[in-house]
Amino acid sequence: MILTPNILARLVAIVIAGVILQLTFFSQVALFHVSPDVLPSLVVVLGLFGGTLTGAVCGFSVGFLLDCLLIVPLGGGSLVLLATGYLAGLFRERFEIHSTLVPPLLCMVLTLFAELGFGAVELMLGIDAPVSTLVIRDILLKSIFAFFLGWGIHALLRRLLRPALVEEPTAQVRRRRRRPRVMAPGRGRRPRTMGA
Amino acid sequence: MYRKQVRRRRAVLALLIVGSFALLSVTYGQGSDGVQRGVATIFSPIQSVADRALKPARDLVNWFDETFDAKGDNARLHEELEVARKQAVRSQAAIAENAQLRKLVQLDHSGAIPSGYTPVSGRVIGRSPTVWFADVTIDVGSGDGVKVEDPVVNGDGLVGKVAAVTGGSARVTLIADHSSAVAAKVVPSGVQGVLKPSVGDPGDLILDFLDSEKPVGKNQSVVTSGWRGQGIESGYPPNLPIGEVSEAPLVEQEAQQQVHVRPFADLRELDLVQVLTGGSRG
Repeated sequence: MILTPNILARLVAIVIAGVILQLTFFSQVALFHVSPDVLPSLVVVLGLFGGTLTGAVCGFSVGFLLDCLLIVPLGGGSLVLLATGYLAGLFRERFEIHSTLVPPLLCMVLTLFAELGFGAVELMLGIDAPVSTLVIRDILLKSIFAFFLGWGIHALLRRLLRPALVEEPTAQVRRRRRRPRVMAPGRGRRPRTMGA
Repeated sequence: MYRKQVRRRRAVLALLIVGSFALLSVTYGQGSDGVQRGVATIFSPIQSVADRALKPARDLVNWFDETFDAKGDNARLHEELEVARKQAVRSQAAIAENAQLRKLVQLDHSGAIPSGYTPVSGRVIGRSPTVWFADVTIDVGSGDGVKVEDPVVNGDGLVGKVAAVTGGSARVTLIADHSSAVAAKVVPSGVQGVLKPSVGDPGDLILDFLDSEKPVGKNQSVVTSGWRGQGIESGYPPNLPIGEVSEAPLVEQEAQQQVHVRPFADLRELDLVQVLTGGSRG
């Protein structure tokens, strides 16, 4: 990702809009009694576009803002989402897999990771109550929602951050293949002439 | 050049991780610090506007969810309605009798809101996205007289209490949060216990440490006990409705029993709440 002041401003706006949308919309709607969590998917997509450093910084920022607005102890959300963004960036840097299924699948897997991470942070700080098995169902459903949300978020952010994105090699190859070929004179099929 | 980049990247990453742990250890166990208060104050009007603007969209999505539920609930609700009608008739008679008795002993207050408390209405403008926290953010704060530890109710019953406040917003820890513990009693038997949540299932609370010699039955109501004595007192005023006993397993040869309680308030879908400010707590 090529970071210019314009792109940085867009990233800040994306982070703020993402957190506010999560708190005011996604956390307050329920599908099958579970609210979707878009923030891990948002961080994953940013990590996929920008690599480890962008993913980690965006994850930290999203977590920090989330903790500030929820007025909960700072640092927990930052730590989990930082790791999520870093792992997404690492995937981009280590593996040359370019498929349309990669962003949603990665969103699903890393949302599962993030939700377990939030749980781990809570356990580290101490949970003084029994944990219901419904937590597992909620986490799995959130991960499945993330698969579908990841698709949309990837498409949206691709459009918003297009000027900053480095072209993917497969996309270039595909484009090269589709380019019309110029036929040499006398080779190939001769064009038909009507009525001659 | 490449090595320098890698080194810089690792340094930033290490800084972020150390920063997260530092923030966690500095802010854990405290209500809210200056940075948080500042950020929350800046963003709470934006959240409030976004919350109102997105309400139709939220209602639409929730409508689908509720429609699925409604099909299953329809038959059960018909049966419950029959029972509720009979209870309502009995309650009407009890209310009339109660009003007369209240006049007699000059205890003329509604009973819904304990005397000495001033309700401040607020709207839920944010909700924790993870299943591990049961917190909501509301659009009233210290500017409206809200203080930490103030109880929060809605039309159905107890919801939670204020855990942190800023000028224009407050965080409410719900009774379904793992950190919550409410001193409660079962009525009419009066047997007292501590109400704890079952993390991840806001529709199921556990009333623990009940005296097993006093039997507790299904569908009995649970209210706050609001005890007070020797300089300490419960964080909640007495007799705020919490829920009803949904499951009361039989226990034998044990000093204490545990029952499951279904809260009256739907903790997953809160919109308008009331913070009970003032009161006798110091």
